[in-house]
Amino acid sequence: MPLITDQQTINDLNLFGRQGSNSIYEIFNSTRTHGGSIILEEMFLNPIGDFDKINQRSQIIRYFAGRAEKFPISTELLSAIESYINNTDSRSKLSEYDQSVTKRLGNFVAPDAQTTTIYRGISAILLFVREFRLFVDALDLATDHPYSSEKNNIQRILSSEEFADLPFKAEGYKPTGQEFISYDELFRFVNRDAILTLLQCLYRLDVYYSIAKVAKERKFVFPTALPGGNSFIRIDDVYHPQLQRAVPNSIVMSDEQNVVFLTGANMAGKSTFMKSLSIAIFLAHMGFPVPAAKMEFTVLDGIYTTINLPDNLGMGASHFYVEVLRAKKIASELKLGKKLFVLFDEMFRGTNVKDACEATIAFTAAFARKQGSLFVISTHIIEAGEVLKEQSGKIKFVFLPTTMEGTNPIYTYTLQSGLTADRHGMIIINNEGILDILNAGLAKSNAKDI
Amino acid sequence: MSLIVDKQTQDDLNLLGKYTPGSIFSLFNKTKTDGGEQLLQTMFLNPLTSAAAINARRDIFHYFQEKDFTFQLERADFQSTENYLAIESPKMFIVAVLNSFLKKGQSVLIRDERYGQLVAGLNSTIKVLKYAQALSVLLNDNSNTPFDQDKERLKEILDDPLLRKLIAQQTNEEFAPYQLAVYDHLLKQTLKGSLNKLLKIMYSIDVYANVGKLGKMMGYCYAEAMEKEENVLNITGLRHPALRNGVSNDLRFDHDANLLFLTGANMAGKSTLMKSLGIAIYLAHMGFPIAANQINLSVRDGLYTSINVSDNLQTGYSHFYAEVLRVKSAAEQVASGKCFVVLFDELFKGTNVKDAYDATLTVTEAFAKYKASAFIVSTHIIEVGEALKGNLSVQFAYMPTVMNGNKPTYPYKLTPGITSDRQGMIIIENEGILELLKN
Repeated sequence: MPLITDQQTINDLNLFGRQGSNSIYEIFNSTRTHGGSIILEEMFLNPIGDFDKINQRSQIIRYFAGRAEKFPISTELLSAIESYINNTDSRSKLSEYDQSVTKRLGNFVAPDAQTTTIYRGISAILLFVREFRLFVDALDLATDHPYSSEKNNIQRILSSEEFADLPFKAEGYKPTGQEFISYDELFRFVNRDAILTLLQCLYRLDVYYSIAKVAKERKFVFPTALPGGNSFIRIDDVYHPQLQRAVPNSIVMSDEQNVVFLTGANMAGKSTFMKSLSIAIFLAHMGFPVPAAKMEFTVLDGIYTTINLPDNLGMGASHFYVEVLRAKKIASELKLGKKLFVLFDEMFRGTNVKDACEATIAFTAAFARKQGSLFVISTHIIEAGEVLKEQSGKIKFVFLPTTMEGTNPIYTYTLQSGLTADRHGMIIINNEGILDILNAGLAKSNAKDI
Repeated sequence: MSLIVDKQTQDDLNLLGKYTPGSIFSLFNKTKTDGGEQLLQTMFLNPLTSAAAINARRDIFHYFQEKDFTFQLERADFQSTENYLAIESPKMFIVAVLNSFLKKGQSVLIRDERYGQLVAGLNSTIKVLKYAQALSVLLNDNSNTPFDQDKERLKEILDDPLLRKLIAQQTNEEFAPYQLAVYDHLLKQTLKGSLNKLLKIMYSIDVYANVGKLGKMMGYCYAEAMEKEENVLNITGLRHPALRNGVSNDLRFDHDANLLFLTGANMAGKSTLMKSLGIAIYLAHMGFPIAANQINLSVRDGLYTSINVSDNLQTGYSHFYAEVLRVKSAAEQVASGKCFVVLFDELFKGTNVKDAYDATLTVTEAFAKYKASAFIVSTHIIEVGEALKGNLSVQFAYMPTVMNGNKPTYPYKLTPGITSDRQGMIIIENEGILELLKN
């Protein structure tokens, strides 16, 4: 079962980003093959909502992260195979009959490009099959290991009649002209599907190695998926993978306290924390390692974040309406009994302070009553938090503090529990000296009048 | 000195920009000539600050509006004339003649196009001059009009005997090389200065005639500008020029009541009212026709709006801080003793309720003491209004919402008092979201 999510969430978390920009996908993408990068992209587009599948993938990646040897096949070899196998034009098939004397002579002097590609492709496949067999045979897997089925699959193909008889004499073995003709028939036409299957297995291996490498280099940890029952997420020292000096934070969410109510001044790091948390939860549902010290979670059905709703400031009212529609969409998913992770940054900021305050209270209280789903809501409207504190025990209040050093705000980016009393609005206004300017101007003009 | 208006204000009111949809400039830009468009742009960029200058320009617009004629000349003719006049000709007449023959020869022998272009340019110029003469006749009905000075100058230029001979020419004529050289020399050397003046006057007629015509068609009025010391701002029938069926409203500010405290729900028309006022004041300082029934105002030093303040994430400013900086720069202007019109829409929306209340109240009270300036402050925090009630400088008005069943409708008519209308929760209830969330 796939995890439910949407484009807004993918954009919010910057999973892909714009072309060439630094995205979460790019962090994990150190694949060596194009096929591998496509599989990785598919993994990002299809997070998993299934306990077993998450564990399986996570176990596989962990297994390869723990092994010393490298990705088995060189990229040059692969590109030779790919351009060869993708040519399915039967007219290009090597044949002993229709080769005219001139063509033979010509090829004897200098083979044409197509023929060269075919010869190189056949040699490459011979080498690939040999190397791949050695690699797979060396994998020591328990029979119930999630990768063992794939391993068996590969071994079955490689030990099939057609492949078992291939000459694996030595590296650099040069087939005869007659052998080339029969291998071409075998690889490109009779057993093309088997070769393609082998390549797919190789691309997947590429992806696993790529993720394993990132996990090792960046010291990401593999989250533990917990079997069903009550929803629970515990994450220690989670940080944003795209920040240089990210400050880690820890949080626990459970059915007992299923709403995190986050307050804090602007620029205190609310959005960054919310993104870090959501990215970790998203990656965990792909079976990937996460930027944190430790993570345990129960598998959810979906994840929805609302961080950067497309702003249309020219139409203040309709921005509010966009938020309302998004809340409605999520509410209908919840109505179906789905277990979701829902996140709203600066809820209802598209409207006036008072409406936003009332709406935030109403929604947060309603969310808190929803069993099984987990919510994070941030706002700068502290008053909403004060009301909610009285209403419900299921809300966990946390804030990102601002400390004033003289008149300069300092941000620690470390979560504290409770509601912030930080009201820096008036401090900022006083810092800017607006009232002083106005009073001084008035005094001056009065003095002139007298 | 020009009216002080910054970039944010221009953007808030959507004043400038030829290609910006709905901009006030594009609304007024019905000019037929490039030069007219440039002149209009100059007027938009330099609103006036002297009552005399404003009223003088207004009178000219009014005069042309009464004349009610259509400026009839194709843009292409003017462009061709300008191109023609820009092609340099030799200073010495004899060289010009030789040059003319040379080009004619080239056009015959090697199909060179320059001679043909010169003939076409001269033809357009004659067309423009003929039209100038027609305008001069048209405007020369009675003396003692606001346009007298330019009118006389136009007549003077056209009275030149050499020019009259040229005007008498038929257009679309093939000019002989010698004749071409004669006219070329006349237009580009002998009469260069007066011809430039003539074109300038034509451009200004283009602007005056077309703006005046637009004003008449839309039923706009002209402002009565008064000296700064009068301190009045009195508008009836104010509407937004870009709206087809804008509802009109009346506003009045003076020394005793210089601040309007505006409340109302989202979409009730608060921002539109503020924008209408901002635009009207700007246009009034240009002497332009205004979308209102009547407007009297004392000239101001500047106009300052804060309607669509966006957060600037590049510089790390939050929405709130951006608003604070905006208020600060308004405070600096007002405190320097200048007379301003200041429009603040939904002050301090990027912060918590308590701060928004404190900040709106203190800032509003402080601004209200500046009697020489006029202010509108809009907010949803009606408690600020309650706290301001004793303040005699403050007028209270709201844009009402009438509930039709559970559908809000908006009459857009300014009503005295304070309203607590807010439709945020109604919209949420209409969508039935909280019902969905019930277990």
